[in-house]
Amino acid sequence: MANHMQFGFQDASSPIMEELMKFHDHALMTALAICSLVLYLLTAMLTEKLSSNTVNAQEIELVWTILPAAVLIMLALPSLQILYMMDEINEPDLTLKAIGHQWYWSYEYTDFKDLLFDSYMTPTADLPLGHFRLLEVDHRVVVPMESPVRVIVTADDVLHSWAVPSLGVKTDAIPGRLNQTSFTVSRPGVFYGQCSEICGANHSFMPIVVESVPLANFESWSSLMSS
Amino acid sequence: MAGEGDSEPGKSFKLLGFLDVQKVPCSRESVLYGSLGSLVMGLGHFLATSRVRRSCDVAVGGFICTMLGYWFYCRYNLAQQRIRQRMLKEGMKNRVLFEGSYLDPGREQTGSERSDS
Repeated sequence: MANHMQFGFQDASSPIMEELMKFHDHALMTALAICSLVLYLLTAMLTEKLSSNTVNAQEIELVWTILPAAVLIMLALPSLQILYMMDEINEPDLTLKAIGHQWYWSYEYTDFKDLLFDSYMTPTADLPLGHFRLLEVDHRVVVPMESPVRVIVTADDVLHSWAVPSLGVKTDAIPGRLNQTSFTVSRPGVFYGQCSEICGANHSFMPIVVESVPLANFESWSSLMSS
Repeated sequence: MAGEGDSEPGKSFKLLGFLDVQKVPCSRESVLYGSLGSLVMGLGHFLATSRVRRSCDVAVGGFICTMLGYWFYCRYNLAQQRIRQRMLKEGMKNRVLFEGSYLDPGREQTGSERSDS
């Protein structure tokens, strides 16, 4: 989860999120170069006397055509690489359905028999000591670590959005439509997210918690939940 | 918990308000080498031509080119290092998992070990 006043990304917990963070660093470095150039040009123009002795602008026009094209290529290539990486077909080990309701999520593990549950936010009054306010839920989404997981997201009533920042996942939940996303959790842990599409009075109070565990633990959990 | 480094006071230095050179790998070195390159090229041009404005232009151009040049070089090396780390981690995990079994990559295949039916 994010700390108080945290401005940057949370630590990456999936390979896609690691790639997204690397691209973000690359984009910021490009932005720094552009801002430095613009600041310098601004300063130079403000300190120069006005004159009208320019008759041939061929060179400058060449520069301000090629330079932006180079910048666009520098940004587009890694961006498209990640875009296609996110859409790779990777034969998921587990398929999970996340359905948004007002104002809770329900999950269905259709690979198993009778494994479905609702996930409500734990009210602040019932929160155990040390747990996170407005982020904890009564039933977490448990997934095996280092295994590709496919999530099919939809909604029952209004628009919602299933988002877990540290996994690099954000998918809109639209009534009547099935949206698909996938992720692989690199390490065991608990990852928090919140509904990311305004959906009514309790939009801020329907969090998502993904718990990644070793496969043996996941098997125990699924047996327990199915029974 | 994510973002633990943010809680340490005085540990983030954001250039132009957005690029945190302390946290982004290769950024600090890129900016420092860029500054050095800018100084060398600008000063060199001025010493050669005695033209102030053009030397400033060369200095800024040198800063951008050196900074971006080192950035690409450093990030490429970092990516290669991460791939090697991942391969090493995978290799160590497989070594532990398969040690002593027939899948052990360190196991020598000799003729006596093959079963004759």
